[in-house]
Amino acid sequence: MTQNSIQTTLLACSLDGLRVLDLSNRFSHYAGKLLADMGAEVILIEPPIIGNSIRNKPPFIQDRSEIEFGIPHFYFNTNKRSITLDIHKNEGRKIFLDLVKTADIILEDHEPLALNKLGLSFEYLQEINPKLIMTSITPFGQTGPYANYAADDLTLLALGGLLNIMGFEDMQPTQAACEQAYAMGCMFGAVGTMLAVLETQISHMGQQVDVSIQECVTLALENSAQSFDLEKKIRVRTGNSQRYAGSGIFKCLDGFVYVFAGGMAASRFWKNLVEWFKIKGVKGADELASPKWQDLKYMHSEEGKQLFETIFTAFASDKTMAFLYEGAQSRRIPLCPVNDSQSILKNKQFISRSFFETVLHKDSGQTITMPGAPYQLSETPWSLRKLAPHLGEDNQAIYKELGLTEEMMASLRSLGVV
Amino acid sequence: MNTKKQTKGPLSGLRVADFTWIGAGSYTTKILSDFGAEVIKVESSTSLDPLRNTAPFFQGKPGVNRSGYFADRNSNKKSIVLDLKKERAQDIARALIRKSDVVTNNFSPGTMDKLGLGYERVSQDHKSLVYLSMSMQGSSGPHSHYVGFGLTIAALSGIQHLSGSPDRAPVGTGTNYPDHVPNPSHAAFALLSAIYYQRKTGKGQFIDFSQTEPSISLIGTTLIDSNVNERIDKRMGNDNFQSAPRGAYPCRDGRTIAIAVYLDQQWSDLDHLLKISNQLERRDWNSARIRMNYRKELDAAISKITVDFDARTLQNLLQSKSIPSGVASNIAELVENDPQLNHRNHWIKLDHKEMGKTIYNAPPIRLSRTNFNMENSAPLLGEHTDEICVDLLGMSESEVKVLREQDIFV
Repeated sequence: MTQNSIQTTLLACSLDGLRVLDLSNRFSHYAGKLLADMGAEVILIEPPIIGNSIRNKPPFIQDRSEIEFGIPHFYFNTNKRSITLDIHKNEGRKIFLDLVKTADIILEDHEPLALNKLGLSFEYLQEINPKLIMTSITPFGQTGPYANYAADDLTLLALGGLLNIMGFEDMQPTQAACEQAYAMGCMFGAVGTMLAVLETQISHMGQQVDVSIQECVTLALENSAQSFDLEKKIRVRTGNSQRYAGSGIFKCLDGFVYVFAGGMAASRFWKNLVEWFKIKGVKGADELASPKWQDLKYMHSEEGKQLFETIFTAFASDKTMAFLYEGAQSRRIPLCPVNDSQSILKNKQFISRSFFETVLHKDSGQTITMPGAPYQLSETPWSLRKLAPHLGEDNQAIYKELGLTEEMMASLRSLGVV
Repeated sequence: MNTKKQTKGPLSGLRVADFTWIGAGSYTTKILSDFGAEVIKVESSTSLDPLRNTAPFFQGKPGVNRSGYFADRNSNKKSIVLDLKKERAQDIARALIRKSDVVTNNFSPGTMDKLGLGYERVSQDHKSLVYLSMSMQGSSGPHSHYVGFGLTIAALSGIQHLSGSPDRAPVGTGTNYPDHVPNPSHAAFALLSAIYYQRKTGKGQFIDFSQTEPSISLIGTTLIDSNVNERIDKRMGNDNFQSAPRGAYPCRDGRTIAIAVYLDQQWSDLDHLLKISNQLERRDWNSARIRMNYRKELDAAISKITVDFDARTLQNLLQSKSIPSGVASNIAELVENDPQLNHRNHWIKLDHKEMGKTIYNAPPIRLSRTNFNMENSAPLLGEHTDEICVDLLGMSESEVKVLREQDIFV
């Protein structure tokens, strides 16, 4: 496995010089990570003592439920700095306003109007800093009939329309793993922030970026809206059954493979598949060469799908995902393993691209491998410059910058402000 | 005449020579075009964007200018047709690139190079160019030439394996999810970051984007848990680590409602409204730990109660007590009857020359001062060829005519 280390050289980063105040305290931490990993100075602002809510979120490193051991914290807060500050207290609010003067961006996921109640409305903050961008990621956006609805990832997948089309048709639908509704809000939150940043480069004025997670989810519905609009079709969930014979998920020796070789765009790969089967002496290969497999109607029929499945699984049942992957791809057949975490970590392609970062989590002494650069930029590469911060790790540096003395800090600490 | 249309969007003034096609690439550049960039889609009938031939079609009738799927992904773009197998067409593409700030493509590695449009070549005399290549597995590594599409990405990147019921085969995410959100938004973010840097320093760069990597980034916590705690990852159905009961429950009208309880108060409100604990064995259901340990019993009891309610009615009832809940809406409800999406004007009808008014997704982002401009429908195939050649590239009309006779513009 590649051993990437924390980069200590001063590489240029795309977002060098941007300061982000990250007020995420519910689900938007990945947005700040995207910015931080590209070089922005992202300061996570955490409640004193208890820390950010993400620190209490399972799972934990070595299953130790302590604030420096949370895996979501460890992963979603890379490259961020941390200060403790209670913005609900008057003194804390004043310090926050001083920080706002130094910032380019605020990233937040409070309920709509919650910041206004603290005297931190965007309108007010903009008076202090006209170039300020404030990105608000919320379940439904800042206004509207659902704006104050209670929500979580599952209910957002539901109200965004994706849940209804995920899962098996013979049971209630099942969610996409790993909180994808929140993830979508974060991804678009980062995109929206950058759209505003580019505009500020020209106008020197800031603005508010309002992201609705529900709306983000609707973008994952493929052509559902257009199919309804043009053909009045209402998309339903179809489990993992073959779309056409030759396109679907099939069992093999150590798991499943996904094959895309029959019907519509995939049909051009059918020939390659039949050729492969012939060379391997697969029982039924000749059958698959018959002209009826060029007929979309037959490919769509239950008979065709079942026959294909029988032939394919008989061939695949004693073969591994890795064997099938290489064999098929060397003949230009789109077949892929349905990878689990372990096979992802061993995948030659990801390793060859140095995709994983392997680092030491000092609190536990544990070596941890995690996803690294999701894109490779030639001039200003993604970089892991530091691990997720300890609670309040940067209090001293940042409060000193704001002109607070040791005495003032001690007093603020005793009042629970920092 | 300057063809750079003056828009008020945040990307106004940015020009993109866009060679992307199919799903993820086109959805990436839609983010740019909807927010005011001038995105010029370079395409050809000799190697047609497969989405132009993908259902649904206007009036159910196929045709290169009739796909609703294509249209949604190409709003506010211009289209020039160029048969890039011909050298003269490649010259014109290079001239277009010289006048652009950004190049995008999602071909297999090496394809753009073969067309004389690779990064090395076109950046020679254009140092500030930002060039995005989003191939299936990136431009380096032993599998960089492997073939794949949306669902092969979901399979490779782990999200398919992790999604579904613990006791059944992986079921995945219903659509080609990586194509629709993870890849377009990660690619757009990388691109916008590079443009920010370009404007500050004058330096361009090459972005090598593998369409499997962002989706793996999205399952990072599970990957770490599996690797650090030596846990075999398993499908969790609708469970998570912090909420119980939590699930998708059937309703009287055949619909499904999602409910998730995190706080003791939410549980006591839910129990008060639906009388769940009456149906259960006596346990300390007010304890979060008990609810977590006996979540299957809770789910079974709740499912028996929710079938007596219509989904919408139940959602309103639960939301009156701020219990996280929502109907698993179908597309008809979302398009015709969702009060929140209506409030945000999410669905936009744009007038298309051949299809008339059809539906488009607006971006899920609102900028308070310089919002998107959803003004123009998807372009007809080659609709802006003349305009781009003459107004932008400075060719004469007679030259365009001659080249057209040589089948350069097909």
